[in-house]
Amino acid sequence: MRWLPTIHRVWALAAVGVAAGVAAGLAISLATNALAQGASGSGAVFDVTHVPPLLTVPDASGELVYDVHCSAAGVDDPEANCSVSGTVFARRVGVGSFREIPLERRDPVTRQLAATVPDELLDSDAFEYFAVFESAEAEARLTVPPGAQSAPSVSRRLRNATPVLLGRHSFGEARRSGQRLVFARWGDGPDAAGLEEGRNLEPVGASAFDVDASGAIVVLDHANRRLLRWTKGTRAPVHVPVSINGTIADLASGGDGSFYVMETTARNGKAPLIRRFDDHGRELEAVEAAEQGTAQIRIGPDGPVVLQRPSHQWMPAAVAGVPASQAAQLQRGRMGRLLRSGGEVVVLSRTNELRVAVVAGGRSTRSWRITSETPLGEVQLAEPVGRRFVVVVRLYDGRSDEFAVLLLDRRGLVSRTTVDAADWAEAAPLGRFRLVGRDLYRLGSTPAGVFVDRFDLEVR
Amino acid sequence: MTIYRSAAAVAVLSFVASFALTYAGAAAAYHTRFVADNCNYASPTPTTFITRDGSATVALRARHEGYQWAGGCWNDNDKDDSPNDPTTNAGTGGEGGDCSGFTFKVWREALDTSNAGFHQWGMLRNVHGPYTAAAFKAGAGAPNITASKSGLIKMDALASDGHIGLIYAVNPDGTDQIIEAKGEAYGTSIWTRTYRGSSSYSGVRRVGWSS
Repeated sequence: MRWLPTIHRVWALAAVGVAAGVAAGLAISLATNALAQGASGSGAVFDVTHVPPLLTVPDASGELVYDVHCSAAGVDDPEANCSVSGTVFARRVGVGSFREIPLERRDPVTRQLAATVPDELLDSDAFEYFAVFESAEAEARLTVPPGAQSAPSVSRRLRNATPVLLGRHSFGEARRSGQRLVFARWGDGPDAAGLEEGRNLEPVGASAFDVDASGAIVVLDHANRRLLRWTKGTRAPVHVPVSINGTIADLASGGDGSFYVMETTARNGKAPLIRRFDDHGRELEAVEAAEQGTAQIRIGPDGPVVLQRPSHQWMPAAVAGVPASQAAQLQRGRMGRLLRSGGEVVVLSRTNELRVAVVAGGRSTRSWRITSETPLGEVQLAEPVGRRFVVVVRLYDGRSDEFAVLLLDRRGLVSRTTVDAADWAEAAPLGRFRLVGRDLYRLGSTPAGVFVDRFDLEVR
Repeated sequence: MTIYRSAAAVAVLSFVASFALTYAGAAAAYHTRFVADNCNYASPTPTTFITRDGSATVALRARHEGYQWAGGCWNDNDKDDSPNDPTTNAGTGGEGGDCSGFTFKVWREALDTSNAGFHQWGMLRNVHGPYTAAAFKAGAGAPNITASKSGLIKMDALASDGHIGLIYAVNPDGTDQIIEAKGEAYGTSIWTRTYRGSSSYSGVRRVGWSS
């Protein structure tokens, strides 16, 4: 009986321990939540977008237009735009010093700022420029493109572009079938490619592919966080697990057995990563993109290059084999994509006109003005093939879409074929086509699965 | 003395176990707390002068915030405060809008679908609005109309049966920069997309802009 009071004390101490533990757990959890959710007021907004007139024609206007969004911190009214001043710095490419052109508001209602390029610059073969914006209210300064004089935007004059008239497109006619090389049904099994899960989400899966040096086809099965690799002549893929986000990404074969995966998402305001993996899926390196938007990765003459937004510039992910810092990327941005075969391809697409130029030695050596009565969508591919040039561009109207494959030479259109869109599942925006040798490869999908087809361009 | 040592040990063990369980439980329930702890149900402010640029500012404040299916409440700290919510549960109370809720607030629409007027909702006002992506695609509601895709400009939308995104800017390669609440793994941000050319997507426009 003497033990009873002691046992009661034990129970009492245990109860105190439980109560204290619950209280401490709740307090720390709530404090953590409060810290995590911290700022709830309006932060400052300062953002500028600009579509550079990469390729101009003699009747072009010399206006450089910038959409400026600025709102000071703590101002909740989204219509209360803060005042922004800006200056364009422009010169002929590589000639003299940059001259200042003030940016002005041309319309009292919109937030656009514009500057007029002097005729002597506009009429030159090419001029380069960047713009600097400042807002005291937002306490912010922005340079567009961020590489400034080290990597300015370049606008080139097309003087003798070859005209190509596409007329009105008839959807569903003259489609070409490719040779089906590989297929994987949707799922997470050994021969399958995954679809992302989620409500309010269109089908998204198998977002990119490439063909490596050995001719093997590699599909980025991003939802299952792996590569599917089909060596030549095999029907079943080998899986290579890779440590990636599991969201839409682009893929490029490094040519040495390694692969680059360009992520498009990142957390907490950081820029997406470009990751390099060996053929066993071991991560070799990862670099953060210089800008928040990543659109496409390809292998250039000096290594991987990434198309970034909002600058619209191609920036190296590695310099001399060493991963490039964000500053190094920004300093080496280019408006065109450098080709392994030499030169640089510049593309400017508008609803009914597409301009394409091959630039070498600072001059446009071949160029085309492709006009179409049917609206033109994105340019999936623009690359030389032998002495010719191939362009893959989407054509669309309110109900249909197809890809036009245009084979061009100096005189104009050599041949034109159409490939069905086959884009049931969303993929990397510019990751659907690859040119390898003289063959065109296409990543497609249906409700059944994902596939890669090959098309012979019939280039002799 | 042994019994007192045991009692002390029991008390310490009880504290540790209950702390761990409580903290883990509260942390696990964290995803249900964003709306409860931060959001409100205040009435919107009717406004008459509304620009596309102003709506772009509304959208930019949501950039880098989270995604919540059927949600519509976010702060402005450039961080997803409830990452990795279950993707198919509307009741997790996490941060962010879904694609149609985001569009509804950016377009500053009314809960009454017959009202085409503009209504300013606060970021922390938890409201999804009456439209799904498919309803927007069909041009449902007095403020919304379908529009030719080739003529779409900033703050017009591209909608499919399951998703909607707003045009923020066009790109030189024929793609668009779309600002959208994409999904739990993506949050809300700006991405390069090819929705304009895809036959799954139609053009949608909010009517009545001042400019």
